[in-house]
Amino acid sequence: MAEFVVVAGADALGEGEMRVFDVGGTRIAVANVAGTFYAFDDTCTHVGCSLAEGDLEEKTVICPCHGSEFDVASGAVLQGPARRPVKTYETRVEGDSLEVKG
Amino acid sequence: MSGTFVIVGAGLSGGAAAAALREEGFDGRVVLIGAEPQPPYERPPLSKEYLRGEVPFEQALVQDPRFYAENGIETRFGVPATCVDSVEKIIELDDGERVIYDGLLIATGGRNRRPSIPGMDLEGVYGLRTVANCDRIRQEIVPGRRAVVVGMGFIGSEVAASLRQSGLEVVVVDRNKMPLRRVLGDEVGRVIEEIHRDNGTTMVFEDTVAAFEGDGHVERVRTTRGRDIECDFVVVGLGIEPVIGLLAGTGVKLDNGVVVDEHCWTGVDGIYAAGDVANYYHPVFRRRIRVEHWQNALKQGPVAARNMLGKSEAYAEVPWFWSDQYEYNLQYAGFHTEWDELVVRGSLRERDFIAFYRKNGRVLAAVTIGRGRDLRRSMPLIKAQRPVDPGKLQDPEVELRTLVGAADAR
Repeated sequence: MAEFVVVAGADALGEGEMRVFDVGGTRIAVANVAGTFYAFDDTCTHVGCSLAEGDLEEKTVICPCHGSEFDVASGAVLQGPARRPVKTYETRVEGDSLEVKG
Repeated sequence: MSGTFVIVGAGLSGGAAAAALREEGFDGRVVLIGAEPQPPYERPPLSKEYLRGEVPFEQALVQDPRFYAENGIETRFGVPATCVDSVEKIIELDDGERVIYDGLLIATGGRNRRPSIPGMDLEGVYGLRTVANCDRIRQEIVPGRRAVVVGMGFIGSEVAASLRQSGLEVVVVDRNKMPLRRVLGDEVGRVIEEIHRDNGTTMVFEDTVAAFEGDGHVERVRTTRGRDIECDFVVVGLGIEPVIGLLAGTGVKLDNGVVVDEHCWTGVDGIYAAGDVANYYHPVFRRRIRVEHWQNALKQGPVAARNMLGKSEAYAEVPWFWSDQYEYNLQYAGFHTEWDELVVRGSLRERDFIAFYRKNGRVLAAVTIGRGRDLRRSMPLIKAQRPVDPGKLQDPEVELRTLVGAADAR
């Protein structure tokens, strides 16, 4: 069973920022959208670029290589060329820590 | 709204346009006609992931094959259209079928240029446009075999990279003195050249093919300057020409494709064009341009479809494309044919840069390797077409998004 693991301090990520964490060998990106944290696979399902190196516009992450757009909350593809959604993960803030269920 | 809308050309643009008609609630008849037997698919993987056998064809499909029937879109795949009567509004297909249309979208795309080189018809000399072309090339891909790629534009460069990545010996022949020089210029062209050299591609520049030679099947390429290059097969990538023969005699203006306004309209009642074939008026660059890229096909088809339904939507996307070669992701945005100055942020040598093509103080276009985020942030700058301070373009400390509309720019 997946468990919550601490990835960073709760204040490590400013609003509108993204960062990648290694959670049990998986690269997981966390985005701070207006104070809410969303976690998703950092690896784009198209050809594998790092989504955290792209742009975050509200709840949409945009792949830096080919412009695929994903909803950070659901992982759904909003714009190709990617076809498959990215996996998303639960997040929570426990005390001073940001945690991801990976 | 009722009536019959016919889309000729079942590539990305035509497929996206058909879907857009239904999304807009059009409940009349939609007929999607394509010369190829497959439902609409995207072509970028054909020189990269699909050519290398890394992804199945299904991943390139624009829609699930059931989409068309489920949405009441009649399809005629594998049946080319042969002629249009723009007065009676009838389109005729190769199998004799005639369809009376109220609206007609021309999305026929392009076909590969085939220069009249002796031996062009030998077996083993391939072009690359369709999945059928690609499947034939894939059968030739066996590590250790020798390929010649003719032309080092984007398709040639990508094919050369994919073949090297698949373990083949590759020789490229190009008439220019470096790859992509006409589009990207000397400084960026040199970067691409070095990437290919580092990956073991042999490049023959400032030379052209005099003849393909062999007994039935190509065995060597003879160049104008007298080189003989032994090979197992050849891929020719010398660009495309728009497919416009269908429109002869219709009154539609044909000049470097189908001439249309910013609404994708030809000026002839009911006839529109989109995608590779459309030579359209671009309101940002204030001239006609014809764009042969994925994004243009994806976005322009639906705009044309909505305008056919009576909307008045100008198509003003900044042209954008990517080209993946080896581990490098190159992207370009904008449109330029000439420039005064190339302003570089980052390092050409380290292959980590964004470079701006500047003319009369304005940024016409930008190209990047490895800085896709910066390229995306430059698009509003290109769209604004206002003078920008080159010092700020160059300065890594200056956030590109702040330069849009900067009134202090000189």
